[in-house]
Amino acid sequence: MPCAGRCDEPIPVIRGDQVLIGTDANDLESRPSPVPSPNPQGREECVFRHIREPDRSTIEGYRRTGGYDGLTLAVSELNPAQVIDIVRDSGLAGRGGAGFPTGVKWQAVADASGAPKTIVCNADEGEPGCFKDRAIMDHDPHAVIEGMALAAYATGAPRGFIYLRYEYPETLGTLQRAIKEAEEAGLLGERILGSAFDFTVVVRRGAGAYICGEEGSLLNSLEGRHPFPRNRPPFPVTHGYEDRPTVVNNVETLASVPHIVRRGADWYRALGLNDLAGTKVISLSGDVKRPGNYEVPLGLPLSTLLYDWAGGTGSSRSVQAVTMAGVSGGFLAGEDLDVTLDEPSIRAKGSFLGAGGIMVFDDTRDMVEIAHFAMEFFAEESCGKCFPCRIGTERLTERLAGTAGPTNLTAWLDEVNDIGRTMKAISACGLGMAAPLITESLLRYFPERVAQHVAHQARD
Amino acid sequence: MIMSTTDSQQQHMVLDGDDVGFTSGETVLQVAEREGKKIPTLCNDPRLEPFGGCRLCVVEVEGIANPVASCTTKAEPGMVVHTKTEPIEAYRKLLLELLVSENREVDVDALRGYASQEFASLVDRYGARTGRFVGSKSGSSRLDDDNPFILRDYDLCISCYRCVRVCAEQEGDYAISVMNRGFGTQITTEFNGLLNDSACTFCGQCVQTCPTGALADKKALKAAELPGAIHKTRTTCAYCGVGCSVDILTKGETMVGIHPAMDGPANLGALCVKGQFAFDFVQHEERLQTPLVRGEDGELHETDWDTALDRAAAGFKRAVDTYGRHSVYAVASGRAPSEAAYIMQKFVRAGWGINNIDNCSRA
Repeated sequence: MPCAGRCDEPIPVIRGDQVLIGTDANDLESRPSPVPSPNPQGREECVFRHIREPDRSTIEGYRRTGGYDGLTLAVSELNPAQVIDIVRDSGLAGRGGAGFPTGVKWQAVADASGAPKTIVCNADEGEPGCFKDRAIMDHDPHAVIEGMALAAYATGAPRGFIYLRYEYPETLGTLQRAIKEAEEAGLLGERILGSAFDFTVVVRRGAGAYICGEEGSLLNSLEGRHPFPRNRPPFPVTHGYEDRPTVVNNVETLASVPHIVRRGADWYRALGLNDLAGTKVISLSGDVKRPGNYEVPLGLPLSTLLYDWAGGTGSSRSVQAVTMAGVSGGFLAGEDLDVTLDEPSIRAKGSFLGAGGIMVFDDTRDMVEIAHFAMEFFAEESCGKCFPCRIGTERLTERLAGTAGPTNLTAWLDEVNDIGRTMKAISACGLGMAAPLITESLLRYFPERVAQHVAHQARD
Repeated sequence: MIMSTTDSQQQHMVLDGDDVGFTSGETVLQVAEREGKKIPTLCNDPRLEPFGGCRLCVVEVEGIANPVASCTTKAEPGMVVHTKTEPIEAYRKLLLELLVSENREVDVDALRGYASQEFASLVDRYGARTGRFVGSKSGSSRLDDDNPFILRDYDLCISCYRCVRVCAEQEGDYAISVMNRGFGTQITTEFNGLLNDSACTFCGQCVQTCPTGALADKKALKAAELPGAIHKTRTTCAYCGVGCSVDILTKGETMVGIHPAMDGPANLGALCVKGQFAFDFVQHEERLQTPLVRGEDGELHETDWDTALDRAAAGFKRAVDTYGRHSVYAVASGRAPSEAAYIMQKFVRAGWGINNIDNCSRA
């Protein structure tokens, strides 16, 4: 059963090209993915600013509140360098998890020699607990397309791809319809808005591999190659799609751009708290009263999101732990739950915000079992190119499942720590580097539970 | 003083504390190997594009947080590289321990292939038979593939992809591919079938680049039980005009196999199915030991060399006397030694003054 990316609803099932929802096999219904709820504090938003408006996914609905005004402004009044300046000054950074400054990336592609250049929208949202890109594409597809067109104008790219994960069949139709609408309105294609700017967008569907969200693997997959990560350097900004200069941006990053171009860099910067620039969409799921996507100002305390916005666990139980970056950031628990939602704060705890998926586990959950599920996911999705990840994820999964490994606690910890340290240091891509954060944080916050787990195996 | 062109192109980096020169475009691994560093690798074959899979060749570069794979990292001016720090050596040992834990055998017969001892020798160098990291095994052998040449013993595979890459990059066949992913990775052919039904030409390059002996030379392995050490003799393959360098493997007086010469100027480790596998005729029981001539009864009969040569000479003379020298045509056998092929063309050209000489492998 592939992940349907609908963690905000119980329980999603993919049948054919439909995502069905329900808790009983005989009572499944097809319904559109949930529209993000407004935040109770009335915090100003960027990507979700207009997403709740009626007919937002159509071009008429999108244009009603200024849609494509950013592109119109850029094409008629700004030169490409000015568009890049606005994006750089806004402080916008990659919202897919890596956090690379978007303006710097665009500048590198604009400066790179080689043509044709390409804009790739990374819509391979495969991280467990992340479902924000699906919400954006389902309910505001034109924002993504306008963001891509602005990236294309800024960098001089005539072609673009949306690499969409396989498990979003209905989103595929939405995107294709939106692209057609934009083409018919003269906002994509040749001589956009009567200018000399040409840009076409094609949607390419993935085949169900998490690794294809890694940009090197994504580019290999897009070219029809085996999706192994690419060795870096060189980077996609100079050697991307077909070895030519390429922008690879996440859906949320691109959907932020039209707002930034229209409202200005200073407006976006000011959305964040404590000198942090802008906002981040968080996908919240698990033991929480109101799961869903929330656009938070960077720097918002995690506890504000968990309790004030999402209603806490919704029961008398307390929060035992949360995951960060989907599952790639491992767990935060105990006193470390007092972080604010931004990279500096979360990285100081040995984790990272990443793509912004947060799963909540109350005090009834077995954290060894949760860690096992997470590691099993990484083992299943490891591409098999590099030795530390291919074998390491398997061995860590076996140890968390209790199916293999030492029954002596010291030896067990030595093996798990040695594998984790090696994977973090020398894996070929982010998957292998991030996976051991699961075991590392499990051992940090729940050492007694781990000791119990190992002792239990010794008895069996 | 005028610097020579070579000098101006030469750049410098620091390798384990020594200032060393390199040419733009070289990888850190290439520079280090030239400087005599013994950096371990398992996915690297110098003839192939750098892959960066095994991570054994990682080195520390000052200013870069994580170690980098030296095979995929280009040397840069001023780079300061450490190839053998304590943490680096610990990572390498751990990787080898993990590989030992997933594999079913480490020690394999050297007759399996040219590179078959690489894994076991690295495991021994790092003392990696510690028994740590016990768990499930990877890969699954295809002993149902009854082709006569290549043993597909994937129980011993460590997924370095050298076979996949040599088949694509050197041979251009793309006969070997990858199925599944992660720990379930399985090297196979298109549609998971038999080699005989794939694009494989049985050139044997996958066998010779395999560092664990998972892909092995079935014909050579027939001599696994034969006593004696393997002796190598360098020679040139006689089959065609390319002139591939080969090492003939013998045990005592018995020829047991052939390895391509990785430094052969014409082939750089490549061979074709004939050069690699078609050597049985040398010691075949049906090989002629004495000349045969056709008798009055129409059958072939054993005879001595003088009688046979007289018969042949008489036949040639009759043909030339009757129809002229252009009526004679000679085809040398690809299985004959190069010296015999040379003598044959000399005989035709000098003896009759004609050029009607060919070789069965000329195509």
